[in-house]
Amino acid sequence: MKRKRKINSISIPAEIACHIVLILFCLLCIVPFIFVVIISITSQDSIRAIGYSFFPKEISMEAYSYVLKLGDQLWRSYFNSFLVTVLGTFLTMLMTILYAYALYRKDFKFRGFFTFWAFFTMLFGGGLAPTYVVCKTVLGLSNSYAAIIVPMLLNPFNIIVMRTFFHSSIPEELIDAAAIDGAGEYRTLFKIIIPISKPGIATVGLLSALAYWNEWFIPMLYVRDAKYYPLQYLLMQMQTKVDFLVKNSSMIGAEASNIISTLPSDALRMALVVLIVVPIACAYPFFQRYIVSGLTIGSVKG
Amino acid sequence: MKKKLLSCILAAVMALSMVACGGEAAPEAGTTSQSTEKTEVSKEEAAPAADVAATDLEPVTLKMYFHGSNVTDDSAVLDAVNAYLKDKINVTLEPVWGTWGDFDQNAVLSLQGGDDIDIYFTCSWSADEYNKFARDGYWVRLDNPDNNLIAQYGKELWDLLPEVLINGATVNGADGYGVYAIPGYKDIATQNCWDVNVTLLEKYGYTVDDIKNTDYYGFEEILKTVKEGEGADFYPLLVEGAVLERMVDNVTIVTGDSGTGNFMSYYLNPSDLSKPGAYGNKIVNKFATDEFKKFVEQTRKYYEEGFIDPAMGNKTQANDTRTNKQLSGQYLIGTQSYSLGYELQASQERGIHVEMVPCTDAFVDTTSSQGAMMAISTASKNPDRAMMFLNLLNTDPALMTLLNYGVDGIHYNTNADGTITFTDKRADYQPWTNGMGNVTILPPTDAQGVDFWDGFKAYYGTAKEIPILGFAYDGSQTETQMGAVANVVSEYMLSLCTGTVDPAEKLPEFLQKLEDNGINDIIADANSQLDAFMESKGQ
Amino acid sequence: MSKKASFKKTIFLTTMVLPGAIWFFLLRYLPMAGIILAFKNYKVYPKNPTFWNNLTHSEWTGIKNFKFLFATTDSWTYIRNTIGYNALWIVLGLVIAVAFAIMLNEITHKFVAKTYQTLMFFPYFLSWVVASYFLLAFLDPTRGLIDHFLINHGMNKIDWYNTPKYWPFILTICNLWKNIGYSSILYLAAITGIDTSQYEAAAIDGASKWQQIWYVTIPNLRPMICILLIMNVGKIFNADFGLFYTVPLDSGSLYSATMVIDTYIYQVMTATSNIGMSTAGGLLQNAVGFVCIVIANKIVKKIDEDSSLF
Repeated sequence: MKRKRKINSISIPAEIACHIVLILFCLLCIVPFIFVVIISITSQDSIRAIGYSFFPKEISMEAYSYVLKLGDQLWRSYFNSFLVTVLGTFLTMLMTILYAYALYRKDFKFRGFFTFWAFFTMLFGGGLAPTYVVCKTVLGLSNSYAAIIVPMLLNPFNIIVMRTFFHSSIPEELIDAAAIDGAGEYRTLFKIIIPISKPGIATVGLLSALAYWNEWFIPMLYVRDAKYYPLQYLLMQMQTKVDFLVKNSSMIGAEASNIISTLPSDALRMALVVLIVVPIACAYPFFQRYIVSGLTIGSVKG
Repeated sequence: MKKKLLSCILAAVMALSMVACGGEAAPEAGTTSQSTEKTEVSKEEAAPAADVAATDLEPVTLKMYFHGSNVTDDSAVLDAVNAYLKDKINVTLEPVWGTWGDFDQNAVLSLQGGDDIDIYFTCSWSADEYNKFARDGYWVRLDNPDNNLIAQYGKELWDLLPEVLINGATVNGADGYGVYAIPGYKDIATQNCWDVNVTLLEKYGYTVDDIKNTDYYGFEEILKTVKEGEGADFYPLLVEGAVLERMVDNVTIVTGDSGTGNFMSYYLNPSDLSKPGAYGNKIVNKFATDEFKKFVEQTRKYYEEGFIDPAMGNKTQANDTRTNKQLSGQYLIGTQSYSLGYELQASQERGIHVEMVPCTDAFVDTTSSQGAMMAISTASKNPDRAMMFLNLLNTDPALMTLLNYGVDGIHYNTNADGTITFTDKRADYQPWTNGMGNVTILPPTDAQGVDFWDGFKAYYGTAKEIPILGFAYDGSQTETQMGAVANVVSEYMLSLCTGTVDPAEKLPEFLQKLEDNGINDIIADANSQLDAFMESKGQ
Repeated sequence: MSKKASFKKTIFLTTMVLPGAIWFFLLRYLPMAGIILAFKNYKVYPKNPTFWNNLTHSEWTGIKNFKFLFATTDSWTYIRNTIGYNALWIVLGLVIAVAFAIMLNEITHKFVAKTYQTLMFFPYFLSWVVASYFLLAFLDPTRGLIDHFLINHGMNKIDWYNTPKYWPFILTICNLWKNIGYSSILYLAAITGIDTSQYEAAAIDGASKWQQIWYVTIPNLRPMICILLIMNVGKIFNADFGLFYTVPLDSGSLYSATMVIDTYIYQVMTATSNIGMSTAGGLLQNAVGFVCIVIANKIVKKIDEDSSLF
């Protein structure tokens, strides 16, 4: 394998050029995050004196200790986020693959209809209030893990991308061959198609895992019981509270300025970002294994 | 492979069971609505006699949506509250603790979606804005001649409220001109003040009197001296653009104007606030007056001399920067909307000597009198019981203290002199004090001091009512223009009011654009509404 | 194939789409009844104020709710900005993301490629609010790094947040920064799905690397490119609110460069909070997107039947 890559790889200058471009871009991507980390450990006095800076006057862990005051709730929320992400991604992938596979099949009689059925919702939606009413009163989604997972199970974008992955990586003869062998539709999908579509599945899986992990809006709408709060919502609540108080302090009065003066507000904002990003960034390589390893799996033939 | 399959099945089963759990919520909701229907029927028999014993009343559950809560454990409080309420009015209270972060979005959705919540927090600045939601029919009219809830169940409460609050709460709503929410008795007056850093001022040989004896247009010398002394990175004038304009021109907000970027002004009479101001009882285009022109020119001058931080001209950054500079004492003169005791609190927080120099006396306008209110939703199945509850909450010190400060001995301890001291447990139960109603019946905290409420009533009791108190503009006929104008205002106003752009070039451009987008239609509409309002108020 | 087998196949494939189709019906199609809000003056029906009752009892207002979009002197500005930025970014985003995906794929050391890829994804995690703070550290009028540098080198400082002419560039960079990682990962996954034997065959025929990219990689990426292109075209009248509102700190002086339809609707909503008007705005955006998508799909279909969306 190694030898083969060598024969068919790009020239060394070209590769160096690639590295330079990518390194520059990656710096652009990672430096802001480093900036966030630095501010999260900057003391509020330093921010008040010299503003956001790469070189703070004084280091402080105040923001993190403030978050840690949440105590058990913090760990509970970490667990909730983890559970919602794993379970949600699994269900999402299952439904997305099934839906996308049927759409990929040119010989599926209702292909056009169901493609449109999914795609149309990407453009038109009822808006927030009607969706809220349907979820809450018609489907009874409130205060449960289901209330967080169900509203975001499917995304037409993912379905269409998944279908495209099937298109570009599965030769049609493969399905015909499987049909001749007498394999059932489900058996073909799970035993033949899924194993050779790993890069696509891992990609879409990654995207939906990120979506579940980052979601705070849906829990805000449907969950009132702190028992079910995912991390992102818990932290978002802290942040919106700070922002709201700063913005409306003149209307709320003395109480607001009292809270603001005791909050490490700026560092806190950044610490919250760090707490959210680090776990999911650690999960990233897991998906990546399937995405970059690429070339070795592509060569299955019918 | 087998293991993988097993785990998949497990996950699927878990998922299914969870979906089933979610499904169970539906029949539950069905049963509660059934039981409330039952109470509705029997309520009609009970209604005529208002002063019935608690045991004669059907038990009901009231859901109440609060704003700004910081509550993680309400079990002890609710046990006590509900035991108390059962004896008094046979009600079980189910609070929904909205927070600063989620209230605006969730309360509005819950109202639009017709959720079964009985009582909502509302006010002139939250997203479920009192006047608009009253017009759109979300609130029950409480003094409806056909079913006057206040007369039936809220007399004690009504007698206790200051007149200005009642006037401020009486507005045009879906059921005519009346009261659509119970106003909370809190810091109800507006008084714009110069927030002066006396420590710094005295360092340069001035005293507070030097500020008191001049006005905005006479600050230059002082600002210049301090700027030179403190260096180029120091900006002595710490302003909130919109507030600054109101302070200097002595104008007040017209409630119902477009959110944060106001464009309508009512000019006050600084010598007697209860009399009509410079333009009479008229609403004017804020930006077209000579006063405004003079103000922005002076502000531009101050900006160019380096007295105002350029950050004040960026909407999203201004508040953060302002708060930070205040707390670190990096300012000389700031703008502040005053509330009683603010200078003491500020001095303590900032570690400097802060004094407030008022621009006018304290006054009550519609916006400030509607600072915190409780409205009964038209979706409520038990509006009369909700009114009974609100009456009790606002008049019964025991209940108010319990719900607001928690349980004696757990969340606070009572001292010998009658003040209270909070315990550590207070951190778990911290609703927004001012958002709950009549706070004057609370015991004073040790920080406030024994006679706090006397001083409070003296200060707010003497606040003057401005002539147009109670007026709120109804923009439903001019929404198109309102939207377009709001966008234009957002483009120019803050940068003009903080001097970051040149008024010689931008002000005429701004005025032209406002006119092109129909500001005159709105002002004309507002004035005809105001005339009608003044007429009905006069009668 | 026998009729029975084909019937059976249809049944099986239908059972596959069914869970999803039902989900779409419940969570997407049912709420669509709310679209009529755009044509109504939403008021509470006091007798029984559930959402559906309110909706059906509110009076019809025709197209009144749409008027605010055009009854302003700023219409042209926001339409130009929305469509202009989107069109530019669709093209730039496509070219750069594909280029990055190909580069990542060609790098010999897979570990290095993985590291790059992980790093490229970081902007996706950072909200626009955080990004705006970062940008502020550079552009701040009083203590920003760039102005500091300019002054130290004897140049005039630039008032970034009051000078619109720089913002098309700044916004473009911000947008690419945030989204390139996301789309290049899609393209990369599509590249890795390409059957290697195609490259081997090309190499044996003596094709250079460039030729391989041009004749093997790009044609294989075509379905993905077309699909993403079509879907992006559908969003041509929707703008990323956070980017246009938060990153320029909602600075009024920049409106000529930063005002887009989403920020305009937002400003209007702060003044009127009329749910009918916001629904109308959204509906118009989607209708424009729908028309564009249908046209784009038609064009793609002409060129390459297989790559079209439907």
